[in-house]
Amino acid sequence: MIEVVEMTKRYGPLRAVDSITFTIPKGRITGFLGPNGAGKSTTMRVITGFTPASEGIVRVADFDVASHPLEVKRRIGYLPEHVPLYEEMTVSGFLGFVAGVKQIPRNERREEIGRVIERCGLTAMARRIIGNLSKGYRQRVGLAQALLGNPPVLILDEPTVGLDPRQIAEVRAMIKALGGEHTVLLSTHILPEVVMVCDSVIIIHRGRLVYDGAVPDVQSGSGSLEELFMRAVAADVSDRGERATAEEEIEP
Amino acid sequence: MNRIWTVCRREFISYFQTPVGYVALGVYALICGLAFVLSLFMYSKVSIQPPAYGYTSIPNFGEALISPYLVFCGILFMFLSPLITMRLLAEERNRGTLELLLTWPLTDRDIVFGKYLAAVGMLLLMMPVLALHLFLASWFRPLEPAAIALGVATVVLMGLALLSLGMFISAISRSQVVAGTLTFGVNLVMYIAGNVGEKLPQRNPAPEGWPEALRRVIGGVWELFRGLLTQLPLDAHARDLTLGVLRPHDIAYYLLFAAFFLFLTFRALESRHWRGK
Repeated sequence: MIEVVEMTKRYGPLRAVDSITFTIPKGRITGFLGPNGAGKSTTMRVITGFTPASEGIVRVADFDVASHPLEVKRRIGYLPEHVPLYEEMTVSGFLGFVAGVKQIPRNERREEIGRVIERCGLTAMARRIIGNLSKGYRQRVGLAQALLGNPPVLILDEPTVGLDPRQIAEVRAMIKALGGEHTVLLSTHILPEVVMVCDSVIIIHRGRLVYDGAVPDVQSGSGSLEELFMRAVAADVSDRGERATAEEEIEP
Repeated sequence: MNRIWTVCRREFISYFQTPVGYVALGVYALICGLAFVLSLFMYSKVSIQPPAYGYTSIPNFGEALISPYLVFCGILFMFLSPLITMRLLAEERNRGTLELLLTWPLTDRDIVFGKYLAAVGMLLLMMPVLALHLFLASWFRPLEPAAIALGVATVVLMGLALLSLGMFISAISRSQVVAGTLTFGVNLVMYIAGNVGEKLPQRNPAPEGWPEALRRVIGGVWELFRGLLTQLPLDAHARDLTLGVLRPHDIAYYLLFAAFFLFLTFRALESRHWRGK
């Protein structure tokens, strides 16, 4: 469903993402791991069509992001990293606007908005102004706009940041329930989250792909995800030496 | 078309979810009203005793009152338009919502036209004030309805051009304040240039004693410079239009001005595709 082939993203002389290749089949929930500044958000931004790749091909549902951006965007629900929202709108007003933008037929809008509001636990907040909501609820609004219109692909950039433990459990359960029908790419810093939710895992470090495979199973003796992560990150540093990639410092 | 409308509606409503819309409309109505009342008083004083004010007879109502008033309303919009345009794209970029906007199934056309139309909506909301004033004026001295319509349309044309310029500046700025200040500065410079241009002497500035060829070159450059200063500013083309003199090149000037900066706004938004490649 998501195909990334030798994709490179440069910011001036810096290679934020360096020739990475991976494929995520339909219905799979994939965890996207890496240390800070590894290029996770940049990769997600390229897949969603927010920033173009410098080199390489990105395809979603067999549509090339560069040549058919609209077809790709119709199929993606995206939760950006810092959850930007229109502060002055109410939750239901905002979702109504997103439903219009996503061209959900007028007679299905009310029902669809009701569905995502309920699913994200926003029922009590529907009439509140977004700017007055707490971080956890803002996160849910961000998630709700991504889910609106039931897109087959979901790109979620750190969806559980800023939530309380109960909300984290709820969101994880929700994402897990999305698998099968939806293809999900989920970035996170919390390793147990990947073990709990994801079917497979991709680890990138300093813009390079260092692991792409199944989530290791502790019982089968292949070691924990944490060990795998540490090994992958350390191995890459030793063979590549010093490289300057700092995603966080550069605004696209 | 539906998506343009969706973007436009959100943008337009959000003018009134923040104080911006009310402030812009209120200030515009207040200052236009003051200007109208003051110019009406002035005109009535002049018409009672024309010689005291240097007139030989009672000055023409349209020329002395209506046209300057409408040009003033257009110029006033020059100073209020940054309030309307500064947020259009700079705020999206600053808040990060541009990331949402550009990853939703929208084209650049939906975004640019949607936002421009919302700003134009604000402009149109200001026009009933002018129409009311002109209607009141026609109570004193009959005005042709067509002249009233053309007068308001002239201010709208000026507004279309100004909003387009403002949106372009908003598209290249990272913060609202920068966009607003820059737009204000550009408008002010344009206004000053127009005033300076009118006061520049027509004759060749090169001294008589200089060689003929050199004088001709300097004269040509001077003429071009003077022409730019008098023709380029936004209020220059409004004077005849507000008098009811309909000339295609004045209208074309405003429409081309607006189209040009809309075009640049598209390019500015598109720059994400090639910047940092």
